[in-house]
Amino acid sequence: MSFFNWAWDWVTTDANWHGQGSIPQQILAHLGYSALPLLIAAVIAIPAGAALGHRGGKAAVVVSNIANSWRSIPTLGLLTLLAVFLGFSPLTWLLPLVILAIPPILANTYEGVAGVDPAVRDAATGVGMTSWQQVIRVEVPIAMPLILVGLRTSAIFVVATATIAAYVGLGGLGRFIIDGLDSSQYGPVAGGALLVVILAVIVLALFAGLTWLLTPAGLRKQAKAE
Amino acid sequence: MAVDALNLEVPEGKTVVLVGPSGCGKTTTLRMINRLVEPTQGLILLDGTDVKSRNPAHLRRGIGYVIQQTGLFPHRTVEDNIATVPVLTGWPRKKARERARELLALVGLEPELAKRYPHQLSGGQQQRVGVARALAADPPVLLMDEPFSAVDPVVRAALQDQLLSLQAELRKTIVLVTHDIEEAIKVGDIVALFRPHGTLAQVAPPEQLLAAPADDYVAGFVGFDRGIRRLSFVPTEGLVLDASPILPADATVAKALAVGQPWICVTDADRRPRGWVAAATLAETPGDTPLGQVATEPVGHAFTVGTDSLRAALDAAVLSPAGQAVGVDGDGRVRGVATFDQIRAAIQAADAPAADLRLDQRIPEGPRS
Amino acid sequence: MMWSWIPGNWSLIWHLTWENAKLGVLPALYGLVLSLPLGVIAARWRWFYPPVLTVITILYAVPSLALFIALIPAFGLTDTTVIIALTVFSLCVILPNVVAGLRAVPAPVRQAATAMGYGPLRRLVTVELPLAIPLIIAGLRVGVVSGISLASVGQLIGVSSLGYLFIDGLQRSFPTEIYVGLVLVIVLALVCDLILVAVGRVLTPWAADPRERRTSRAARLVKVAG
Repeated sequence: MSFFNWAWDWVTTDANWHGQGSIPQQILAHLGYSALPLLIAAVIAIPAGAALGHRGGKAAVVVSNIANSWRSIPTLGLLTLLAVFLGFSPLTWLLPLVILAIPPILANTYEGVAGVDPAVRDAATGVGMTSWQQVIRVEVPIAMPLILVGLRTSAIFVVATATIAAYVGLGGLGRFIIDGLDSSQYGPVAGGALLVVILAVIVLALFAGLTWLLTPAGLRKQAKAE
Repeated sequence: MAVDALNLEVPEGKTVVLVGPSGCGKTTTLRMINRLVEPTQGLILLDGTDVKSRNPAHLRRGIGYVIQQTGLFPHRTVEDNIATVPVLTGWPRKKARERARELLALVGLEPELAKRYPHQLSGGQQQRVGVARALAADPPVLLMDEPFSAVDPVVRAALQDQLLSLQAELRKTIVLVTHDIEEAIKVGDIVALFRPHGTLAQVAPPEQLLAAPADDYVAGFVGFDRGIRRLSFVPTEGLVLDASPILPADATVAKALAVGQPWICVTDADRRPRGWVAAATLAETPGDTPLGQVATEPVGHAFTVGTDSLRAALDAAVLSPAGQAVGVDGDGRVRGVATFDQIRAAIQAADAPAADLRLDQRIPEGPRS
Repeated sequence: MMWSWIPGNWSLIWHLTWENAKLGVLPALYGLVLSLPLGVIAARWRWFYPPVLTVITILYAVPSLALFIALIPAFGLTDTTVIIALTVFSLCVILPNVVAGLRAVPAPVRQAATAMGYGPLRRLVTVELPLAIPLIIAGLRVGVVSGISLASVGQLIGVSSLGYLFIDGLQRSFPTEIYVGLVLVIVLALVCDLILVAVGRVLTPWAADPRERRTSRAARLVKVAG
């Protein structure tokens, strides 16, 4: 049987939609476990990236290094390390997810803000905006497309890592996969994998829509050209 | 960029143009006024107050700032761009947008552009929006850094004219930086010419710069042809005009020859110029022929007495086959003609005071703006 | 941290590192090999790229574990599964960079080459691709670094990599193993990254300033947005 057969059989089994640890429950759980770290990371990384991008200078090197090296950190390693010390506690999965969600958002926000046309910055200073006003009213809106790319990259990454985090006890769609692998049942493994993929694609679509919504109208045409 | 020991006073309601070669510090000087550059030494006084004593952001909200690349906010509409400073100082958005639309008209743009975005506008239109944005909060002082350098010459001329008419209406104190001496001469009430390394070579009204450059550097910078260009500033009111060679088309050839002039200017019934005819040509024509039937040579162009400058008169004389400029009044009716000699006399009369000025000229003491 | 464990298990550590390296580097190279022709086509025939880009964006959103699982019925619980999955991910990262790199070749340069009598293939190989090298290497770096890290996830389906140290370390509550694994993955990734940077510099002797800061904006953008 192919992957799709296994997955389809399992997903269409009614029993899996009811009771403890059912499909709808785990879908919601997965969404929650993905949204929370993403939000926390955004709250940390967007202001930090904007402030660094606004100031420029030496920060470029630091951000660049972070941007290049964050992908080298193995998620499984971080998860298991924390699990050894903290057991299967919320922090065990929350911490790595937040840590790994920060770099794309930080780097992209930095790029977006630092990349604002120097003439526009000069004009913003020249008309009498304070630094903070420049960042909020001019630089961040202009950087919005890139910030959203960063958020999207992080979102995808978090959804994927949350799946793996089932290995250290997290609920969500990864539960089906890990438990299925444990008990050699390919049905839930395939089903869980399929659902996660669908979820990821939905998140992708959501961000496409969000990008369209949040990009200031003046930039939409320019963004399309890029 | 270094600026060295600068003393410059900018009188209220006047346009002072800072001009000089690249790297001379003119832009740095400008940007010290609104503290985009902090001077390491010295004092910048705005309306008597040291600019350093004021909060930079608040200071800048009271100064209009226009730059070469416009720096329009791409994510905001044209009207929201213009409304930036009013909104920043607390105006309700609706009122700010109304003001923005007023300014749009003031800089000569159609109201439909209000809801467009900067990237949808041409270079010249964007520059006008930049000026409108600078004027939105009605600041007493306007700083302009090479505002017209990024557009093509035709658009540039239109923008300069717009600036002149705006200034006539609004009487702002303007400090404008340019590398183009022609622009400086055209729009400036006072021109401050920089040397390459940040010192001032001469500060004077443009006519004086042309008539009496302080040294060879200034003369060289101002450029070739300054004698003639300077004539743009000399009015034609005092020009002596001769009405005798002017005859209507129905006068006879005989009458024309009787005047005794080498050239006759033929006018139509309304006293508008039709052309020149040489006495030599007339001598070969039967005496009773009306002048209107004689072939004439074109006038070239006429100059309007009083409003046009001596430069226009000189140019008219050069173009005229008779070597005489035809002077007309506001309705185009001929008032008289001026020969090269008469024009030269007017030039000499204008030159005399300029010679005195060169001896007395000083760069004003004390930095003020 | 039990340092003595390391010398005692040298051969295991070495074996796992070697496996992980293979699982990270090979797919990136395969991805490069696939990306080059596809990228050339996409750069040349503009209509080809947007649908391809959409497919890539969706594929890249698929969590690695899910993709491994999807390939199991076809390729089993073997290296091949992981390698194919990681090749797909590398393709997703490298292809856009190939396209961007080729498109970044200034039109005057291309025109000059044609005017001098270069046929399209020769122009491609001797002018356009060399000039696209910086961006291609940038993509390759991301591919290799993330591949080395993602390879550790393969351990969850039993494919040998440094991920073994994470899992074993958790099962035995033995953090030393996990530390070793973490450090090795990161070091391995960074070493490969540096090698690629060096290769890039060797291949582009004309580059004026090889410092990181001078990487073109496009390269930084693509890297970060990946």
